[in-house]
Amino acid sequence: MSTRNCFQQVLSEILKYSFLLIVIFITLVPFLWIVLSSMKTNQDIFGSPMSLPKKLTLMSYKLAFELAPITKYYLNSIVVTSVTTLTTILLTTMSGYVLSRFNFKLKNAIVIVFTSAILIPYFSLAQPLFYILNKINLIDTKSGLILVYSAFGLPVRLWIIRSYFLTIPKEIEESAYLDGATYTRTFIKIMLPLAKPGIATAATITFIDTWKEFFFALLLTSSDKARTLPVSLNYFVHFFSYNYSTMFAAMVVVTIPTIIFFILMQEQVVKSLASGAVKG
Amino acid sequence: MVIVTSFTEWTIVKSPQFIGINNYIFLIVESAPFGSAIFNTILWMLIAGTLHVIVGIAVAIVLERRPVGWKAIRTIYFIPNILPGITLAYIFTLLLNPEIGLVNSIIRFIGFKNFYQNWFGDTNTAFIAVTSIWLFYAGLLTILVMAEYESIPESLFESARIDGASSLQIDVFITLPMLRNIIGTCVIISMLAMLKEFAFIWATTKGGPGYSTYNLSLYLYKLSANYHNFGLANTIGTIQISIGITVFFLISKLFKIGKSFIS
Repeated sequence: MSTRNCFQQVLSEILKYSFLLIVIFITLVPFLWIVLSSMKTNQDIFGSPMSLPKKLTLMSYKLAFELAPITKYYLNSIVVTSVTTLTTILLTTMSGYVLSRFNFKLKNAIVIVFTSAILIPYFSLAQPLFYILNKINLIDTKSGLILVYSAFGLPVRLWIIRSYFLTIPKEIEESAYLDGATYTRTFIKIMLPLAKPGIATAATITFIDTWKEFFFALLLTSSDKARTLPVSLNYFVHFFSYNYSTMFAAMVVVTIPTIIFFILMQEQVVKSLASGAVKG
Repeated sequence: MVIVTSFTEWTIVKSPQFIGINNYIFLIVESAPFGSAIFNTILWMLIAGTLHVIVGIAVAIVLERRPVGWKAIRTIYFIPNILPGITLAYIFTLLLNPEIGLVNSIIRFIGFKNFYQNWFGDTNTAFIAVTSIWLFYAGLLTILVMAEYESIPESLFESARIDGASSLQIDVFITLPMLRNIIGTCVIISMLAMLKEFAFIWATTKGGPGYSTYNLSLYLYKLSANYHNFGLANTIGTIQISIGITVFFLISKLFKIGKSFIS
């Protein structure tokens, strides 16, 4: 009996680790292959796609930066993402606070409208949005993208921040008022610092979602002026046609910084997504 | 606006004109891509709601046994989910490239010297190829399940162990039922994500070959951006919204989300 138990235990350990090995393999191999291939010459890529590069070369990176305005795309992405995150947080902390603390007419109606907006797949709104942005001349501008992303983000982020405010006991504010603090002062000096974890969650989710967004970036941009990184990949095929090593290099330049940023921030990201996505 | 204009004829040269349910009839009866678009969308949603979720849960349960380096593995497994979908799609176009792709090279290397398969270009394999881009990368679900797992009271596991339950029995009879809420949420998240998926298809096949990898979002984009048929595009949008809301309530009911298990 005990030998059988022992055998079972060893077997389950082996199963466990081989399962994890497969998981790591499936996840990492594509990225490693891209990185390796980007350092090969084109002949190497065609001759033996699997082998290690015979001679490491960084030529393809130089070429990639020369052929495509990658820095410009990076800048666009960073501007759009950070302004969107700031706008969303500014709007949702203020409205979330009011909606969590004060009773007024139509308050419940407002909350219900925002909550039900979460259910609508925003994709389906593409056409009216295009139409509206076209009318007000915001097609192919960064402001247009920022406006759209901020609007779509609002319902979920508002929910996250509002539920966080709801967990903060009212007594804290009351004592602040007793000490003579004004309404604005209480909000800025007391409530905002207390709500930091909730705000961090909302900000992280907004940042990631905006950084990844592709559909609207494709639909609402038409030149390099406002194109973000995800859309730019779409045009690499034109820039580099069959120059595969350059394409690999461009791919690395686009993906690796995101991965590094994520690994540095992973504690925050994991925590935010675990608490935020369920609510969304 | 979407729902109202779905009942109108509205193109770039024509302002909206009420035409009743003609848009819907046109889609169902005459439109060639619509059949495969809706079929593919629903099939992808089903795969996402089942296989994809199972992968996510499996990884979470194994990682919860705290094997060596579980935190690093969790981080690695999440990487594909942090990248824009389009990046992943392009990486897979290169991986599955018939000449220089890694997959074909491996198959050639293990013996089939003249193997040649254009994964994204062949009607038979294009659907599978597009599915493979996202099927195994369930990092978000894994994180959600793991977060919920930690909220299960340890005493439950202990009493089960004292009663002599094996770890497999604990997984099946205690962990999974306790995770019901979050699993339901995962099913909804994955199905709704597939309902609106666009980048994976756009970057790899653009719906082809033929209409074999069309889905509703792609069709909507083409109607709106290429054919400027806004009324019809909004009809698709309305269909998407109704599918989304139906799925949400159906799955919530199926998993009894929000109701406590013990009561």
